[in-house]
Amino acid sequence: MPALSSTMKEGKLSEWLTSEGSPISSGDSIATIESDKADMDLEAFADGTLLKILVEEGETAKVGEPIAIILEEGEEEVELMKLIEGGGGTEPVVETQEPASSSPPPPVSASTEPQTPHTKVYMPALSSTMTSGKVVSWEVDESGTVGSGEPLLTVESDKADMEVEHLGDDGFLARICVEEGASCDVGEVVAVIVENEEDVAKWDGWMPGASVSAPSPSPASPAASKPAAAAKAPSAPSPAPSGGRVIASPLAKKVAKDKNIDLSQVTGTGPEGRITVSDVEGFTAGSSPKKKSDTPPVSSWKPANGVVAATPTARALAKKSKIDLSTIAGTGQFGRVTEADVKSALGESPKKKKVLTGVPAVELPSGFVKYSGMQSAVSTNMEATLTVPIFRVSSTIEMNSFNKLYASVKPNGVTLTVLISKAVSIAIQKHPIMNSRHDSNGGIYYNSDINIANAVALDGGLITPVMKNTNEKSLEELGEEWRDLVSKAREGKLKPDEFNSGTFAITNLGMFGVTAFDAILPPNTGTILALGATTEVIRPCDECVGGMRKVKEMTVTVTCDHRPIYGSDAAIFLKTLKEVMENPEKWGVK
Amino acid sequence: MKIFSYLLVLQQVYCFAPIALTRRHCSQLNAEFDFDVAIIGCGVGGHGAALHARGQGLKTAVFSGRDVGGTCVNRGCVPSKALLAASGRVRDMKDASHLESLGINVEGEVTYDRQAVADHAKNLANTVKGNLENSLIGLDVSVIEGRGILAGPNKIKDDQSGKIYTAKNIILAPGSVPFVPPGVTVDEKTVYTSDGALNLDFVPEWVAIIGSGYIGLEFSDVYTALGSEVTFIEALPMLMPTFDREIAKQAERMLIRPRAIDYRLGVFASEVTPGEQGKKPCTIKMIDANTKEHVETIEVDAVMVATGRVPNTKDMGLESMNIETNRGFVAVDDKMRVKTSADGEVIDNLYCIGDANGVMMLAHAASAQGISAVENICGREHVVNHEAVPAACFTHPEIAMVGLTEEQAVERAEKEGWTLGKSQGNFRANSKALAEGEGAGIAKVLFNKETEKIVGVHIIGIHAADLIQECANAVEQGTTVRELSMMVHTHPTLCEVLDEAFKGAVGMSSH
Repeated sequence: MPALSSTMKEGKLSEWLTSEGSPISSGDSIATIESDKADMDLEAFADGTLLKILVEEGETAKVGEPIAIILEEGEEEVELMKLIEGGGGTEPVVETQEPASSSPPPPVSASTEPQTPHTKVYMPALSSTMTSGKVVSWEVDESGTVGSGEPLLTVESDKADMEVEHLGDDGFLARICVEEGASCDVGEVVAVIVENEEDVAKWDGWMPGASVSAPSPSPASPAASKPAAAAKAPSAPSPAPSGGRVIASPLAKKVAKDKNIDLSQVTGTGPEGRITVSDVEGFTAGSSPKKKSDTPPVSSWKPANGVVAATPTARALAKKSKIDLSTIAGTGQFGRVTEADVKSALGESPKKKKVLTGVPAVELPSGFVKYSGMQSAVSTNMEATLTVPIFRVSSTIEMNSFNKLYASVKPNGVTLTVLISKAVSIAIQKHPIMNSRHDSNGGIYYNSDINIANAVALDGGLITPVMKNTNEKSLEELGEEWRDLVSKAREGKLKPDEFNSGTFAITNLGMFGVTAFDAILPPNTGTILALGATTEVIRPCDECVGGMRKVKEMTVTVTCDHRPIYGSDAAIFLKTLKEVMENPEKWGVK
Repeated sequence: MKIFSYLLVLQQVYCFAPIALTRRHCSQLNAEFDFDVAIIGCGVGGHGAALHARGQGLKTAVFSGRDVGGTCVNRGCVPSKALLAASGRVRDMKDASHLESLGINVEGEVTYDRQAVADHAKNLANTVKGNLENSLIGLDVSVIEGRGILAGPNKIKDDQSGKIYTAKNIILAPGSVPFVPPGVTVDEKTVYTSDGALNLDFVPEWVAIIGSGYIGLEFSDVYTALGSEVTFIEALPMLMPTFDREIAKQAERMLIRPRAIDYRLGVFASEVTPGEQGKKPCTIKMIDANTKEHVETIEVDAVMVATGRVPNTKDMGLESMNIETNRGFVAVDDKMRVKTSADGEVIDNLYCIGDANGVMMLAHAASAQGISAVENICGREHVVNHEAVPAACFTHPEIAMVGLTEEQAVERAEKEGWTLGKSQGNFRANSKALAEGEGAGIAKVLFNKETEKIVGVHIIGIHAADLIQECANAVEQGTTVRELSMMVHTHPTLCEVLDEAFKGAVGMSSH
């Protein structure tokens, strides 16, 4: 921690501008320090890699205290890691205004530590309250082989027994420091794993010192071996191993040759990673083929070869989160990946890297919790539907044209919900029976207004805000109405008329990747339409090259009250809806 | 007693008399010429010169070239301030955590009407332009609508009517136009210079700004506030190359890094192709500034070209007086008199002020040069001290400066053999700044330790543009930091940031 002013005693680390494992060049700003007077950027004075952050963002350190360790080029990562791990309280390498990291002090350890490439395994914290743990059993014997991801030992914590996996590279269990049945504090060394078999003997009898404890053993990494190396590993599907054999279908090879594409740069999605024609074509489009198709691509624009279609913030976030932009479907202008897209992609695959098997991420709730008002209402309504005789009909709709329309109206604030509601109301106009409901006086009650209720999941509840007269309003009007309704719903300010006046209900779980599902009818409604995810599939096609084509499809399911509405009504309605959604140019809207 | 009070009254009358009565007059009215002074160009420089010339009783004409107000008023500083004012408020009101720290809660989303924001800029420009024109007419300046073209010594041709006017003195103030690098196609719709940007025809999702100087930086402020993402493309290996390095660094931390902005350094935009809004993006091919090898191609919604400005001196008859320009710039001596070339002869009775001479391309510098030229016309030798001309960049927060950058000061101190002193005031230590919740920023004062005179001041922080004036005056007057340190600054105001720096320079502490 540098002294940024004559009066500065300690500094707050306001921001790390780089992350562990990132390469650093001399002169790069690596952190922002807040002093008593001003914020200042701290520059690196040597080239290297940021090995370890010792002071986290928001934390404070006294002037002169080490805040990070930089691995200079040529220095051995293992050596430095040893300093961090074994060095305990001693000052390892100080990154201050002076390039002091060039002369690290010698390691201090309790007993002489063999100088072999190794990894220490620490007692993990298996719950937030765990302070020490008992080794129940070792799953591997001393000098046995340990594979990455294989169970290493079982630990008994204050709550449960857990299997702890080895997370580093493959190696050999050189030394067990805590025998079966013995306990030790969280963070203490329980074992040593070496890279080479011949080094096993050198660790015989080695014991960590009494004071051995890692400065900050992350509870999430019991076998934190090489954080820097791990961080560097690409998280997303990487191109075919360079220099290795490129496996590609003959047609793919031909297309690649025609288009002058280097196949080693293309990510294969075929069997065993084989590169297919669509991979090559996808690569031409500037990105590898989309793995996820539940986020509809919104533009027919194809970026030029080599163009990364992502906004600056999306790029930055993707880099920071180590996610491959080419795996994210863009929803911005010209199909560009936006920050929101990256965020949602991150949300869909919550940081698996950090959650380790066998370690509970959260403590699960247990016991009785009374329903909230909204939950009771849902419960009552659901029970009431048990007396309704229902049937279900499904259909699959091709979404290519619809998605194009969505892309074109999205900038005007029209959401998918609004657009689908509009499509549904166009279809309902041709089949008013779908907008009707059973009347207890023994008849059909026809609704002259088309009011579409869309289910919205709230924190601890469910509500169905209603867009009224969807057939009569423009997409933009509906877009605005829906935005308004959703924000009211979130704030709990919907008036009864705004959530119980629906004549037709829609529910959508497509965003979670659900392919198809059926829903329960809300009270006083004749039909509910359940939307699955849009998926990309291959369909036979006589006119197409290769006899097939790739289409985006969505499976929808209607649940109807069989008293007023019959199976054929629902089937014909779905046929119309399919026609409407597959031919949006006929809507006359836009 | 009575006499005394009469005297007082008389004195007061005298005080409020028009300047022309109290100042030395220099009327040169001469039947030989149509005008004493004819000014080509009616931007801020030409306007300033005209006002001063009339103040001196000179018969004055201005050739407006159908552009009263020039770049600054119509396509530059003035309308851009309107966009910055509107977008700055949007930014403030969207900054929920900042508002919350002040105890304010904005419910619902803060939205803006793009067209209304654009109209605000347009209306402001029109108002200022109208005021400018009225002031000329009110002072009895002959405003000639056409563009003035030099037609030999003392002769100007009006390109509209073809009529030749004669004037004893001619001041060239034709201004400048945006520079568009080769390879860049400007359609003013998706690829535009500051001229097109001010129309704010749409708010792009992603806009690339070529050049990271004042103009680029201000527009990045506007765009990011309105929700766009920005990529800077800078040919030099650093952002904001003309700024003091320390200030540039602070600016990067306050104005670039926390915003939706990224950048490419050391690259040229070698080929920029316009797109079509909503149908086709603009394509920018970038090459390495040194190796000229292709580095990257990006596709963005809009491209703003902010790579500087070039003089608007084409086809204005310079050749009729054998004037050679350097890339369009007209060479002048320190009295603003035109020279035939950089090391050529001074031409009598011909002056050039403002962007066209390239000395300092700022509106107020042009105006100062115009006044200086008129002073010289009146036979009172005058030289503008350009090192006392302040400059400001109206981002949020603002950046302002006067005099040398620290890098230049170090060099000059070494060359001239004096010791450079440096003292800093901090916004974080300022009560007013903290009250606003805007504690970021510094003011640094560079001074000669021997003479204690100021050689440069650089401020980044809230209202920096309004704070710099005190320093500019000090530089002009040669006021020392010791003198400044004893001058009382209002408490609690932002100018105490400077007070802290002045006091620090002489080893005093401020509270």
